[in-house]
Amino acid sequence: MYQTLLVVRYLTSRIIPLIAVAAVALCVTLVIVVVSVMTGFLDMLRNSGRTLVGDVIVSLEIIGIPYYDELIADIEKLPGTTAAAPVVETFGLLRMPYGVGGGSRIEMLQVWGIDPARLQRVVDFKHTVYWKAPDDALGKTLRDDDPRLNPAYDALDSAMNMRTPSGQSGIVTGMEISPFNHRQTDGSYRVGTASNGPWDMKHWMPSLTATLTLVPVTEGGSIQKGERKRTFAIVNEFQTGVFQFDSNRVLAPLADVQELLGLAPSEQTDPDPRHVDADGNPRVLGTAPGRATTILVRAKPGVDPRELREAVQAACADFLDRKRADPEVQALRVSVPRYVDVKTWEERLKNLIGPVEKERSLMRALFSLIYLVCAGLVLAIFWAIVGEKTRDIGILRSVGASRVGILSIFLTYGLVIGVVGSIVGFGLAWLVVDHINEIHTAMGKPPPAITWFAAFGLATGSLAAAILSATRGSVLYSLLWTIATVLLAGLGALFLFLRDQGGFTIWDPRVYYFSTIPNQIDLGNALLTMAFATLFSVIGAAVPAAKAADTDPVRSLRYE
Amino acid sequence: MPLLEGNNLCKTYRMGRVDVPVLRNASISVNAGEWVAVLGSSGSGKSTLLHLLGGLDRPDADSGTLMFDGELVSGLGAGALNRYRNRKVGFVFQFYHLLPELAVLDNAMLPAMIGRSPFSLFTRGSKRKRALELLDAFGLSHRLTHRPNELSGGERQRVAIARALVNDPEVLLADEPTGNLDAKTGGEILDVVRALHVKGLTIVMVTHDPAIAAQADRRVALVDGAIADQPGQSRR
Repeated sequence: MYQTLLVVRYLTSRIIPLIAVAAVALCVTLVIVVVSVMTGFLDMLRNSGRTLVGDVIVSLEIIGIPYYDELIADIEKLPGTTAAAPVVETFGLLRMPYGVGGGSRIEMLQVWGIDPARLQRVVDFKHTVYWKAPDDALGKTLRDDDPRLNPAYDALDSAMNMRTPSGQSGIVTGMEISPFNHRQTDGSYRVGTASNGPWDMKHWMPSLTATLTLVPVTEGGSIQKGERKRTFAIVNEFQTGVFQFDSNRVLAPLADVQELLGLAPSEQTDPDPRHVDADGNPRVLGTAPGRATTILVRAKPGVDPRELREAVQAACADFLDRKRADPEVQALRVSVPRYVDVKTWEERLKNLIGPVEKERSLMRALFSLIYLVCAGLVLAIFWAIVGEKTRDIGILRSVGASRVGILSIFLTYGLVIGVVGSIVGFGLAWLVVDHINEIHTAMGKPPPAITWFAAFGLATGSLAAAILSATRGSVLYSLLWTIATVLLAGLGALFLFLRDQGGFTIWDPRVYYFSTIPNQIDLGNALLTMAFATLFSVIGAAVPAAKAADTDPVRSLRYE
Repeated sequence: MPLLEGNNLCKTYRMGRVDVPVLRNASISVNAGEWVAVLGSSGSGKSTLLHLLGGLDRPDADSGTLMFDGELVSGLGAGALNRYRNRKVGFVFQFYHLLPELAVLDNAMLPAMIGRSPFSLFTRGSKRKRALELLDAFGLSHRLTHRPNELSGGERQRVAIARALVNDPEVLLADEPTGNLDAKTGGEILDVVRALHVKGLTIVMVTHDPAIAAQADRRVALVDGAIADQPGQSRR
């Protein structure tokens, strides 16, 4: 068809359609790169969050769930469950062994009472322990002076036992709690007084102690008598990859936390003052069970957490009904709750993930405005093309082409520009995203002298060309060379500035808390972006195409 | 019955706020096989008359009729008018009006490509053959892949004539075909036109040159948008 022939010829014989292709390509590249990085960032956050709390979380704050081991046994019998582990969650005060003038400082933190061996079955606790001998893969990435290469700083066993080698109870603190831990750009930590200063292992937390103070609260909201505090050895530190956890959480032995909060198994006495023993002491009814505020559940691979939540919810309801009806439980006067809260990990972490999801949606919406820019650019370029092609349109009409035929030429042209631009844009985006960390690393280093030297050298050359063009009376070329001079000189100045600054770091892991930028293309989003870019390219070409179709052939042929 | 007949054709163009009458009740008839020259000075309306005869423009409403082979053309719809321009007439312009991005063969085949029907698979080869025949007849076989900017003025006009004839129209409408050529080249083009006329092609040629008009069978003078006279009987 003549339309196809003309579109191919127009595309391949002029520069101006290449400008339109470049405009579409850049728009597509920008949207794909930004949304892919944001999506990757969100996925990293979600994966980090999921590995910390399992798939389903059962909780009853403050008073805790009695007979939790029996409930865990019921949950583990469910077909979709791999394992479950008890945790006691609370808030407390931790007096850390540092402060102004060498004293101590009190941090208010979230406290998790855990059994490391049971927790390991649900979440990969061991993986988050920082001070341990590195495996082969990690070992290759560590700097030579990293203490983890020294067996003396391997404290994994202490973390898994929550005890020092000498038997003292220990706690594991988040890596970001100590102000002497400085996160480096590769995600590791330097212990010392300054981020780029020398190592100072006297501030190594696992060599120190801290005092934990908890405030037990009754079911009615009253504070139980006496504060409960205990001194622990800091046996290790953990790094989860989520700043909120690493800066605000401490892990302590489950039994110790239960004792401090009054949730440990204890002697249950008759509250009725009339029921006393021979010595006038309250009658002992038996041993009240220990309580845990939280049970973390891990699903079998392939099991949807939402489905498992339903099953766990049913199991919990059955369990609580059974216990309330149990005569032995009734005799002990144990308070059995009517319900417990059961959530999936997404629901549990929505305060963490939700804002990032909203940010991604906002970025998507804002960057979708790029499509309008794309349409505008194509419209402007096509308006110029149609203006240039007015005579051609008249010729085509004189040999019998219809208005619809003329319209279809330019709409097809717009479609081809959109498709070609989208493909080029996808290719560019793939290149950028796939090598984004290398690009970022290169930008983070001072540029070599050859870069600014070459930039200024080329600027000097183009300045000479601009002067020469001006003396020969060419306004266009002297202007183009002047623009090139300014751009090259600016580039040279930028290289010099970056050299003085030691490079330019956009994604600082010390701020954003991930050491690598996500580098996977979100293929679904990429295809959608390409489709929209093509559509808006056609939309941008539509008005000029209609103008072309309406062109009066006589007027267009009248004058040369 | 004349092959092409325009009766009381009027055409007015709007220039800004002013209506400018270009043709006033112009009537012309052309018999089959006749070569009619339309003489007139610049601004007399001769190109406008040619555009109306070729269906490239429409006369003012209620101002006259154009008949082709006994059928009313001036009342045709847009699609039928497109087909009229594609198959019944062929235009040749003073400035050649070739598409600069297409090669010689593609330019010559353009009306054939535009007029291609859904069953074009069977006619494509024959139209290409027709274009090659015409280009060969005009001495352009060695220029098939050249672009118009690589051709001389005479070569370009010959490509334009080939394009005008590729669909075997019944009438050739030529608007000052030698106006942009030197005398020698212009003479060569006239030779081509004359040879076509000898073969029976009906030609309406617009010119301001009486010497060129003298070679036609009949001359029609156009003065200020009106036919002044129709001097001379047809030589045929």
